Amino acid sequence: MTTETQEPQRRNLARPPFYRDVRVIRVVSQLLAVLVVFAIAFWLVNNLISNMNRLGISTSFDFLFGPTNTAIPYHGTFDPRSPVWQMALVGIKNTFLAGFFGVILASVMGLLVGISRLSDNWLVARLATFYVELFRNIPPLVIIIFFGFAVFTFGPFPIFSESWELKVPGSVNNFLIINNDRWGIPGFTATGALVGFWAILIFGVIVAAYVWLRRTKHFERTGQPHHRVLWFTGVVLASLVLAYFLTGQPVDMSWPVISENRRRVDGGFIANWGWMSVTFALGLYTASHLGEIIRGSILAVHQGQSEAGNALALSAFQRYRFVILPQAMRIALPPTINQYLNLVKNTSLGTAVGYAEITALTKTSVGNGRPAFQSFIIVMAVYLTFSLSISLVLNIVNRRLELESR
Amino acid sequence: MKRTKLFAALTALMLILAACTAAEDGGAATTEAAAGGGDGGGAAAGGTLDAVRAADVVVCGVNDGLPGFGVVGADGTYSGFDVDFCRVVAAGVLGDADKVEYKPLTADVRFTSLQSGDIDVLIRNTTWTATRDGQEGASFLFTVFYDGQGMMVPASTGFTTLEDLADANICVLSGTTTELNLTAVFGARGIPFNPVVFEDNAQLRPAYEEGQCEGWTSDSSQLASFKAAIEGEGGDEQFIMAEIISKEPLGPVVSDGDTEWAQAVEWSVMATVQAWEFGLDSGNIGSYSGDNPNILNFLGTDNFDPGLGLSSDFAIQVVTQVGNYKEIFDRHIPAIGLSLEGSPNNIWTDGGLMYVPPYR
Repeated sequence: MTTETQEPQRRNLARPPFYRDVRVIRVVSQLLAVLVVFAIAFWLVNNLISNMNRLGISTSFDFLFGPTNTAIPYHGTFDPRSPVWQMALVGIKNTFLAGFFGVILASVMGLLVGISRLSDNWLVARLATFYVELFRNIPPLVIIIFFGFAVFTFGPFPIFSESWELKVPGSVNNFLIINNDRWGIPGFTATGALVGFWAILIFGVIVAAYVWLRRTKHFERTGQPHHRVLWFTGVVLASLVLAYFLTGQPVDMSWPVISENRRRVDGGFIANWGWMSVTFALGLYTASHLGEIIRGSILAVHQGQSEAGNALALSAFQRYRFVILPQAMRIALPPTINQYLNLVKNTSLGTAVGYAEITALTKTSVGNGRPAFQSFIIVMAVYLTFSLSISLVLNIVNRRLELESR
Repeated sequence: MKRTKLFAALTALMLILAACTAAEDGGAATTEAAAGGGDGGGAAAGGTLDAVRAADVVVCGVNDGLPGFGVVGADGTYSGFDVDFCRVVAAGVLGDADKVEYKPLTADVRFTSLQSGDIDVLIRNTTWTATRDGQEGASFLFTVFYDGQGMMVPASTGFTTLEDLADANICVLSGTTTELNLTAVFGARGIPFNPVVFEDNAQLRPAYEEGQCEGWTSDSSQLASFKAAIEGEGGDEQFIMAEIISKEPLGPVVSDGDTEWAQAVEWSVMATVQAWEFGLDSGNIGSYSGDNPNILNFLGTDNFDPGLGLSSDFAIQVVTQVGNYKEIFDRHIPAIGLSLEGSPNNIWTDGGLMYVPPYR
């Protein structure tokens, strides 16, 4: 019996012919796959270029250096004679602004909603459920249009010339200007060179980071509370004050003022209705998805963790802050990355409310005779860069959070 | 640890793939479109006329939201000045004005649609400009409507000149020559302004009516049509400034590189003006009994064929089924508040610009 089974085994040890060798097949099949992909890609690009040549359409990117010739909404300082690539930069900046603030809003709201859905308080839990079901089930474009038109165009706010001007009590300065088009809030303006100011401030942040590490070490050594957030904030604030006075007060408040013809807001930070609509709509929409992710992640943390926290007499806040959320975040992060990517990509819907982000500006530019394919290749590259950057940063965070696999 | 390495490798691969596809994605889109057009519309070099005859339908890119020029009715049928010229092309080329497939297009995709062969002809209030002629791979044909850009403001404001709009929000459609003219004219006069750009008149109009914009700039014909619509629906009275800030010749557009098709479309369209000049309309063209040799040629008597690739009776088909230029104009344009009298759209014998080469 043993001899019978040994016989075929010995034959298997001999090398099979190359077309049956697993190692060869593996390499060759992958090479073939790559070749096919590249052949198809080459064929498509070749097809495109020959078609464009036949129609006499330019395939070059020279148009980027020609004049833009159109003004950009809510960018009065943009000179229409500037080259097209500068217009694209404005679009990229606007996409970033909507994406960045949208992500912040979505994260804060998402966390609140996710925790609220699990609340023991009946009303809070129901409200959170209502919120999630409402926003999750409406397409983001509809929410953006709703915000743009129901809140601003047809909303309760006055037209520009009749703006509400809310004054700082006991002063002539406005701290808020509200109308259906542009809102103004106080900002800062430079009155001198800022190099020294920034240098001191950056140095301060580095010192603060060092203090943070020292406090952490101190905590690990002695077990005494580290209060590192307080220490960090304190050092940064101190360096801010120091920088301001040492460099001769180079920054001043800039108050928003309505121009004499009541058609401009001068000074301060100005937010236009398109930006507000896109940011709020996408922030709230994404928050409904994030809320669900966070709720699921909290539920995925073993019940015993919460009970252990209870047994240690931790308050509800402490239980979430130190026991549950750190573990839940580890689970929530990968799907959250997706939501952030979606949010940034969805800013392209801002064109519906006239928000001058990169897609809207490119469409205008293409409509005015700039080549569509080259323009949209640039737009794709922009979104790809945004998405890959977000993925990269969050993946690094994810790796830090991940449990060491044993 | 192993997982980390795999992850790093995957990320690197994704980056490489991404870098490659960035250059290719655009390609994929076009080729598909071109391939799709090949069997249907067929904008392949030459042969569009044959392709249209084979498909027995003219694919026409139109506007679906511009009263007077192109709108979709409640029952899904298209009507308007531009739409009638799609019917003219179908009547001329196929002998049946109903053999049109309408493709509603937004301003910013219309040329791409034409280039890719998605449509055979674009008749969508499209202004003929040098850049478009040169860079969009498009051939602009006989101008069917001479328009000019104007500025509308609510009558209650009392504004009469562009200077009154310094620093104001001005509503404008994106991807139109309007936007370029606005920037150029205000720039040249040193008037600061803020454009509020919309993709669609459906969104622009409420913003204007609710006072988000103090002015609305567009082709005068469009402004007139919206002025009529706003006032007709009980809105505020509107005022269109006398000043015309641009030339906007609108007409049919075909893809570059197919002169046979371009000629067929152009002569079908010009037949409406020729008929008007001859005093022929949909009522009397079938029963012409005179002996004017030019008219007899035009009507294809004795199979007169100038070699345009059209049937000899194409003019009769066009005019009986759709009408002459004046009939088409009267059907749609007076309703939006514009008249033929004194406009460049009148026939040349009455001081207008409608002048076509002789049909002989």
